[in-house]
Amino acid sequence: MMVPIQLRVQRRGFAQAVTPSIRRDMGRYFLLLRRASGVLALLLALGACIPPVFAAPKAPLVLAAASLQESMTTAAEAWRRHGHPRPVLSFAASSALARQISGGGQADLFVSADEDWMDALAKAGLIVPETRKSFLVGALVIVAPADSRLRLRPAPGFALLRALGGGKLAMADPDSVPAGRYGREALQHFGVWDQVSGQVVRAENVRAALGLVAHDAAPLGIVYATDALAEPHVRMVGVFPPGSHAPITYPLARLRTSTNPEGEAFRRFLLSGEGKAIFRRYGFVAP
Amino acid sequence: MLLSGDEWAIVGLSLQVSLVAIIGVLPVAFALAYLLARGRFPGKVVVDALVHLPLVLPPVVIGWMLLIAFAPHGIIGALLARWLGITLMFRWTGAALAAGIMAMPLMVRSIRLSLEAIDPRLEAAARTLGAGRLDSFVTITLPLARPGVLAALVLGFARSLGEFGATITFVSNVPGETATLPLAIYAALQVPGQETAVWRLALVSVLLSLGALIASEMLLRRGRGRDRETTGPSPHVL
Repeated sequence: MMVPIQLRVQRRGFAQAVTPSIRRDMGRYFLLLRRASGVLALLLALGACIPPVFAAPKAPLVLAAASLQESMTTAAEAWRRHGHPRPVLSFAASSALARQISGGGQADLFVSADEDWMDALAKAGLIVPETRKSFLVGALVIVAPADSRLRLRPAPGFALLRALGGGKLAMADPDSVPAGRYGREALQHFGVWDQVSGQVVRAENVRAALGLVAHDAAPLGIVYATDALAEPHVRMVGVFPPGSHAPITYPLARLRTSTNPEGEAFRRFLLSGEGKAIFRRYGFVAP
Repeated sequence: MLLSGDEWAIVGLSLQVSLVAIIGVLPVAFALAYLLARGRFPGKVVVDALVHLPLVLPPVVIGWMLLIAFAPHGIIGALLARWLGITLMFRWTGAALAAGIMAMPLMVRSIRLSLEAIDPRLEAAARTLGAGRLDSFVTITLPLARPGVLAALVLGFARSLGEFGATITFVSNVPGETATLPLAIYAALQVPGQETAVWRLALVSVLLSLGALIASEMLLRRGRGRDRETTGPSPHVL
């Protein structure tokens, strides 16, 4: 019984000690605090929901050309089934990835869709030279919508123009995208580029060109064999012989900054018989 | 339910990146907005133009500039790594930086308009009644600017959620770190047969963005109603 009474007395004493001007100021700041408390609560809630992702992951980081999305994902899954941490895969244009590595980005492996970007990194001393290997070879093909009965045999002056029948030829931009560059080279090799160049639609990447054929927007397209196999709505109607364009190779290398032994282990797995078999399933030639 | 576990993780990461981006940018955006609304100094036009640059430049250019500046070999990135041991490369913090930079012009715009709509005589009156500079800022300016600040947060959030070009150019497309909704949608679009995943993620994007835009419109409308009672003409964003 005594304690509450004492408390009340103390509180009254405190209130009397506060002069009216101080009380007015305190009232104002309490109001401010109340206004600010909503924002504070929001910030605290935010802080609580951010997971601690600052620690470096144990899994290696693999930067790979966008055209390897399905095959590399399957390879990473297979590696995980062997009891290793599943490699983290970042797919983007080889050019964007190479620039990020040049900027000092820390990763373990780089798989480029052309040798030029790997050369640039090698020149800058950013890869371990003895780990570089051109481990995949791609093939260039002509595709048509799945119901097409067409058959084309690329040879000097072959009837590509007639096969198009006034429609468009979908391919990746020959000026900036490797797949388009190889395609133009092959058509020039057989002397038909000048006939069809007016009917070429330039896609931003090779998968976009594939999509144009799959959705019947173009009767024919030039893509990699891997793309043709991935898309059930198209059919391969012709294959360019390897001599008609520069070799399509995918170089792989370990980065100079890689310290994770899992990175090197995954690189060896990709080059092993089991690794290569996975990529063959997706339409690559693995020498 | 609707989404798979991985897809929920993508949505969670997008929310995290966007929220951190706008909270981190808010003080900077407010300072810039205050400077542009109240400051009189030579070169104000240049500052104004620089602030708006991310709004009009191609996002890949911003991403490339961020890469030059904040990559571990970049000017600022090297200092961050040496003094604080922080790297933004391939990390969600880098994605948040890219999203924050892209959202900043919209946030500055929104806050600046609400600051400009405040009648300076209210602050002057507070000063004549004995309030200090800080006191009048905290008790008069800040509460009156609140609708603009809230609208800035919501608009900035919506813009951050959609960030693509600067992010993939700067910090790549690393699942669980930088692969936010737009990047995941783009990646799924590259794979034939992933149309259902694209539909689901696109639907989530639409819902989130729509929610943010409606929220910003409602905040503005509420702010407008209150302004009419106190200070007259209302701020209008965009």
